[in-house]
Amino acid sequence: MPSRTTNRRLVAVLTAAPLALALAACSSGDESVAGGTEETAESAPSTVTIEDNHGSVEVPVNPERVVALDNHVFETLSAWEVPLVAAPKGIMGDGLWPEYTEDDAVLDVGMHREPNLESIVAAEPDLIIGGYRFSDSYDDIKAQNPDAVVVELAPRDGEDQSSELVRQIEILGQIFDREDAADAIVADYEAAVADAKDAYDGESTVVGLITSGGEISYSAPVTGRSIGTLFPTLGLEPAIEQAAEDTSHGDDISVEAIAAANPDWIVVLDRDGAGVGEGEYRPASELIGGSEALAGVTAVAKGQVVYLDPDFYLTEDIQAYTALYEQIAQAFSGAA
Amino acid sequence: MNRSASATRAASAAAPGRPHRGRRPSPGLLVAVLVTLALVVTSLFVGVYDLGAAGGGEMFLITRLPRTLALVLAGSAMAVSGLVLQQLTQNRFVEPTTSGTSEWAALGLLLSVVLLPTAGIATRMVLASVAAFAGTMVFMAILRRVQVRSTLVVPVVGIMLGAVVSAVTTLLAISTNYLQLLGTWFLGSFTSVVRGQYEVLWVVAAVCAAIFVLSDRLTVAGLGRDVATNLGLGYERVVLLGTALVSVASGVTTVVVGFLPFLGLIVPNVVSMLRGDDLRSNLPWVCVGGVALVTACDIVGRVVRMPFEVPVAMILGVVGAAAFVALVLRVQRRG
Repeated sequence: MPSRTTNRRLVAVLTAAPLALALAACSSGDESVAGGTEETAESAPSTVTIEDNHGSVEVPVNPERVVALDNHVFETLSAWEVPLVAAPKGIMGDGLWPEYTEDDAVLDVGMHREPNLESIVAAEPDLIIGGYRFSDSYDDIKAQNPDAVVVELAPRDGEDQSSELVRQIEILGQIFDREDAADAIVADYEAAVADAKDAYDGESTVVGLITSGGEISYSAPVTGRSIGTLFPTLGLEPAIEQAAEDTSHGDDISVEAIAAANPDWIVVLDRDGAGVGEGEYRPASELIGGSEALAGVTAVAKGQVVYLDPDFYLTEDIQAYTALYEQIAQAFSGAA
Repeated sequence: MNRSASATRAASAAAPGRPHRGRRPSPGLLVAVLVTLALVVTSLFVGVYDLGAAGGGEMFLITRLPRTLALVLAGSAMAVSGLVLQQLTQNRFVEPTTSGTSEWAALGLLLSVVLLPTAGIATRMVLASVAAFAGTMVFMAILRRVQVRSTLVVPVVGIMLGAVVSAVTTLLAISTNYLQLLGTWFLGSFTSVVRGQYEVLWVVAAVCAAIFVLSDRLTVAGLGRDVATNLGLGYERVVLLGTALVSVASGVTTVVVGFLPFLGLIVPNVVSMLRGDDLRSNLPWVCVGGVALVTACDIVGRVVRMPFEVPVAMILGVVGAAAFVALVLRVQRRG
């Protein structure tokens, strides 16, 4: 019995060994073949592998039919003259990107709360840039569009927003084969940040505010909408330091609390500025600049209030931040 | 709820020639007034800005005084509105937010913004009040056709109506891009009340005064159409007038501070529990109670997250929901 097993083993080894060798040979052959295609692919790439918010995704380079849902990317796509087949026109403002919003050939996905996801399917996209306001629809979009690649590139919560903006534009550069253009945008951004940093005196206190519906709310350092990121990026000194409860819409704060904090600078996002411009809408300049209670605050008395571009709530892209940092650099150096 | 007993009590109180409980100076009321006064004074001195610092006096006039006045006006108006609606519908659980009145006012406000974007605050108040009036009349009309008028069916009808109206308001807000504003507007909060922002609230002081004048008639109307008509009251007219007054109070309060949920429910019920159902002698109590409750909630809202604020509607919502459940359970126990 034992000899029999030994024999069997021997037979097994004898037959397995050459097989293994042969397999090894085959696989090494495969590798060389694969290496070869990769090399040829590099000269004319048809796909590129990127890391989106969900992991590694293989994306066609320069896809023909693109759907974009994330407000951060419209400015870049517009500048690179990338046509879209569908877009959420309701959250793109009037006249910001007319080539998308006013072209009836671009299907309307609607607002993020009441999205018309069928229009995405109808557009037969190759690439869908989702996420941000549409991140809740990610799974639906993926399931309904099996032939399309879905990516989400919006800045992730809890990450350094500045580098997230850079990451986003670099990935867009890879996908649309405009890496040089993307690098230029990043360089502009970094230059603006550096200028603003240089212009900041290092000790003036700053408070971030959000206005909406005639009310003033507080935008917390780091996490607060739009303005929060300025604090870590520029090393600003907060006049009121408190974690936010409502990061995107701001926390209820009285004019008294702002007056008591007496900030040297106020940076304001007017949340209604781009959406509705009439009626009940009261512009931030009126709410803050025109407030009796704030008249004695250093920032208001010295005119050191930075109002974000009214469209900021709809853009929030790296270009918008570049412009904001330039605006801040100018304001800071003007005061000094 | 023991409606007939309370009705007899109310009738005897309203009947002429009998000694009137409210006429006698009540030591209880005096204590209540003093407690409320203490709360109001506290409210004047609760805030982030140091009044002793430079500009403190100015800040007091710009933010503290207007805010406290707004609390007094809105608190008393909404509590009294609840009392009046409860008389008119003969139901303890009705108040502007459970009869749909506030929701209609909100719809009116949104419509005024959509249709007349440049209109001033006076126009908005008129439109909100008119919408509130129309909506409350719809509620009353439905109630007259409802056969089962048990204690809980009435507010359920009102809450349902309010929900339908809210849905329409939300739809309108979505299609006109006002959804973001909607939440900010209607969440009752006194944070943005400053000099130059609240003055229209004085209108509700006139409403309160009118309700005081009408209090006897409203009490009689609260006995039901048949009894009231037998007592020689122009029932329909009084119902219309009462509804109109409540609508104006709700409309104005909604435009200036937003919804104040349950205020009109808790205060009149607690007062009734303590004192019985005589509207006329209860009115000052309800006024004072409304001021005390809303002021206390606002002080809590200002203190818990200093230097930030929690909207008064949230605190009222928590307190009010608990009180609502307690009241329902009490009524259930009594059978």
